[in-house]
Amino acid sequence: MIELKQLTKDYGTTLAVDNLSLHVAAGEIYGFIGPNGAGKTTTIRMMGGIIEPTAGRIMISGIDIHKEPVAAKKMIGFVPDRPFLYEKLTGMEFLKFVGDLYNVDLQHLYRKSEELLKQFSLWDWANEIIEAYSHGMKQRLIIAAALLHDPKVMVIDEPMVGLDPEAVRMVRDILKGLAAQNVTVFVSTHTLSLAEDLCDRIGVIHKGNLIAEGTVAELNLAAKTGEARLEEVFLTLVREV
Amino acid sequence: MKNTAWTLLTPRLLSARPGVQNSRRSRFFFFLFIGLIFWTGAFLIFYRVLTYFQSVQDFGDILAIKLLSMMIVTFFTLLLFSSIINSLSHLYLSRDLSLLHSLPVSMVDIFRSRWLISAFDSSWMVVAFSFPVFLSYGLVYHAGIFYYLITLAAIVCMCLIASGLSSMVVLLGAAILPAGKIRTLFVILGVMLAVLLVVVLRMIQPEQLVNPDSFASVVLYLNSMQALSLPYLPTTWITDTVRFALKSEWSGSVLNLSLSASCVLFLLFINETTAGAIYFRGFSRAQTTAKRLFKPVTFSGHSWEGLFNFLSRPARAFAVKELRSFFRDSTQWPQLFLICALIVIYLYNFSVLPLDRSPIKTVYLQNVFSFLNVGLSAFVLSAIAARFVFPAVSMEGEAFWIIQSAPVSMKTFLWIKFFLYYLPLLFLTETLIIASNILLKVTPFMMFLSVLTIFCLVPAIVALAVGLGARYPDFKSENPAMSATSFGGLLFMLLSFGLIAFVIILEAGPVYRIFMAKLHGQALSLTQIIRLVLSFSFALFLCIFAVFYPMKLGEKHLLKR
Repeated sequence: MIELKQLTKDYGTTLAVDNLSLHVAAGEIYGFIGPNGAGKTTTIRMMGGIIEPTAGRIMISGIDIHKEPVAAKKMIGFVPDRPFLYEKLTGMEFLKFVGDLYNVDLQHLYRKSEELLKQFSLWDWANEIIEAYSHGMKQRLIIAAALLHDPKVMVIDEPMVGLDPEAVRMVRDILKGLAAQNVTVFVSTHTLSLAEDLCDRIGVIHKGNLIAEGTVAELNLAAKTGEARLEEVFLTLVREV
Repeated sequence: MKNTAWTLLTPRLLSARPGVQNSRRSRFFFFLFIGLIFWTGAFLIFYRVLTYFQSVQDFGDILAIKLLSMMIVTFFTLLLFSSIINSLSHLYLSRDLSLLHSLPVSMVDIFRSRWLISAFDSSWMVVAFSFPVFLSYGLVYHAGIFYYLITLAAIVCMCLIASGLSSMVVLLGAAILPAGKIRTLFVILGVMLAVLLVVVLRMIQPEQLVNPDSFASVVLYLNSMQALSLPYLPTTWITDTVRFALKSEWSGSVLNLSLSASCVLFLLFINETTAGAIYFRGFSRAQTTAKRLFKPVTFSGHSWEGLFNFLSRPARAFAVKELRSFFRDSTQWPQLFLICALIVIYLYNFSVLPLDRSPIKTVYLQNVFSFLNVGLSAFVLSAIAARFVFPAVSMEGEAFWIIQSAPVSMKTFLWIKFFLYYLPLLFLTETLIIASNILLKVTPFMMFLSVLTIFCLVPAIVALAVGLGARYPDFKSENPAMSATSFGGLLFMLLSFGLIAFVIILEAGPVYRIFMAKLHGQALSLTQIIRLVLSFSFALFLCIFAVFYPMKLGEKHLLKR
C-alpha cells in the first residue's frame, strides 16, 4: 500500500510537486502519467527515498519513509528511469550486492538470482562486467535486482525504455503477476497504451498537481471525452489546465 | 565560409562563460586566491635562487642556464604526459563524441577542434605556473620587452609541440591497440612515470649537495649534463630561444623560435593527415564492448567475501563492491605505482640523511627529524586521502541512486566508506612512521609519540576526506578521481594541512620541554605538566572533532540532496 499525503517538493526556483495526495491499495497497479516536467520523476524519487520532500508524508505499507527510511525501503523495489549501475561489477555480482544490502537469505539469493537472470535472458552474461551490457540489458538487470528481495511495493519510472518487444511483454506480465500476489505497483510512464492496458487506475499529474485520477472510464467522464482512448483523454485533460 | 572546427569549439567556449551564481563566483575567487599564493611563492623562490646564482663567481650563469634547461625539460615532460591523457579523453573517451561524429563534418575538423581543446586543457596550468619562472629570469637578467614577447611565443610553441607529439602517439596507439584496451595506455604511462621519477630523483642525489666533498662531482655532473643538450630536441630550441633572448642575442633567439614554430606546423600537418586516415577507425574501435585487461574472476560467491566475514552483510557488500570496482578500473593502478614510488623515495631519503656529519648533537637532531617526520607522514597521508578517499563518495557516480534507495542509512554508508579506507591507511602510515623512525634511530619516547599521534591523525584525516567528499560530491563527472582538484578537494587539503599543523604545534612545546628536562636530568614542574596535559588534550579533541563533524556534515548534505 502506498499513501502520499500533501506531498510537496520545492526546488527553490521550481515547484516540482505541489500538495500531492493519493492512495494506492495493495495489489493495485497505479499508472502515473503527465507531460515532460510535470513532476512524475520527482514524485517517484521521493517515494524511493532518493530525494527529501519539502513537505508532506509518504507511507509505504503503513511505514513513514521519512521517519523509518530503512524499514520503508526494505518494502520497495525501485526502478529508476535511467539504468545507471556499478559498471565494474558483473551482473551476478551486482545481484549479490543488492541481495546483501536487502539481507536476502543467501540460499534464496543464489536461487532467485539465477532464476531472474534466466528469466531476463541475462544468464549468459552473468559473469560479464556491466560496462559491456547494452542499455536494454542494464534496464533488465535493474528490474531483476528490484525483484530480488520480493518487495511489497514496486515503484517504477519508465519501465519499458530501452526494452525490446519481448522484454516489454515479459515485464508487463511480471507486473500483473506481482499485483495478483498483492504487491502494490506504482508505474510512471509516457507509453499511454501500456498504462491503459496494465493499470487499474491512472493519475494524471500536470505542473506538480494531480489533475485527474481514476480508471480509464472515470478519466473519460472527467474529461468529457466519451469512450476515447487514454491518449485523447490525457491530451484533453492537460490542455484544459 | 564559416570555419567548421571553430563552430565545433563553440559549445566548449560558451560553457566556459563565468557563472552567475554567487557560490560559483566565490569558488572562482577561492581558486584564484590559492593560485596567486602558489604563483607568488614560486616567483619569490626562483627570484631568490637566481639572485643567489648571480653572486656565484664563474658558475652563476652556468647554473642559471642549467636550471632554465631543467625547468623547460620538466615543463615539457609534464606537458607530454598531461597531453597524452587529455588527448585520449578528448579524442576517444568523451561522452559528447557520439554526437560530434553523427554531425555532417569532416574527421579533420573534429580532430582539429578536439586537439585544440586538448592542447588548451593540458597546457594552461603548466603555462600559468611557468610564468613566475620566466618572469624571475627576465627581472634578474634585466631583459627588455622583446624577451617577454619571444618567451611567450616560445611557451606557446612548447605547448603545441607537446600536444602535437602526444596526439600523434594517441592516434597511432588507438589504431594499433584493440578497442576497449585504450586505457592500457594509462597503466603503461603510469608505470613509466613512476619509474622515471624514482630514477631521476636518485640520479640527482640531492643529499650530495650538502656534502662539500662531492662538489667536484657536482661540477662534473653539470658538465656531463651540458653534453645532453641535443640540437634536434624541441626543448633545446625552446631553451635556446629564451637563453639568447635573455642575453639580447636576437638572431639566435629568432632562429630557434622559427625552428620551434616550423615544428608546430609540421606536427599539425602530420597529425591532420594521420587523423584523416585513421582517427575514425580508432574512434569506432573505442565504441565497442569494454574488455578487461585480465581475464575476469568468475563468480564463486567466496572470492573477496571471505576476507570480510567479520563485517555485517551490507558492510561486506560495500567493501567487496569497492574493492572490485577499484581493482578493475585500470586508470587507478598507475596511481598506486606512484604512491609506492613516493614511499620508497621517502624512506630512502631518511636512510641517507647525513646525521653523523651535522654539527648539531645527533640525538637532538634525530628527535627533531622524528617530530618533523610525523608532520611529513601526515602530509603524505593527506595527499593519498585527497586522491583516493575524497573522491570515494563521488565514485558512486550516477549509480548513487542505488545507495539512496537501498535499506541502508546514509550514516552507515559513510561510516562503511570511512572504515574501508581507514584501516589500510592506518596500516600504511604507521608502517611509514615506524620504518622512518627506525632509520632515524629515534628514542623510544619519540617512537611512541609518533605512533600515537599518527594513530589519532589518521582517522581525523580520513573522516575529513570522506565527510568533505560527501559534502562536495560530483556524481556526474566522467572522471570522479579528478574531484580531488575541485573546490572541495582543495578545501580538504587546506583543512587537513591546518589540522596537522595545529596538532604538531600543540605537541611541539610540551615535547621540547620533556626533551630538555630529560637532557638536563630535571623533573617537569606542575605548570609544565598542566600545560602538557592541556595541549595533548586539545590535540586529541581536535582529532575527535575532525572525525565526527565532517561526517555529520556530509551525511546531512547527502540526505538533503
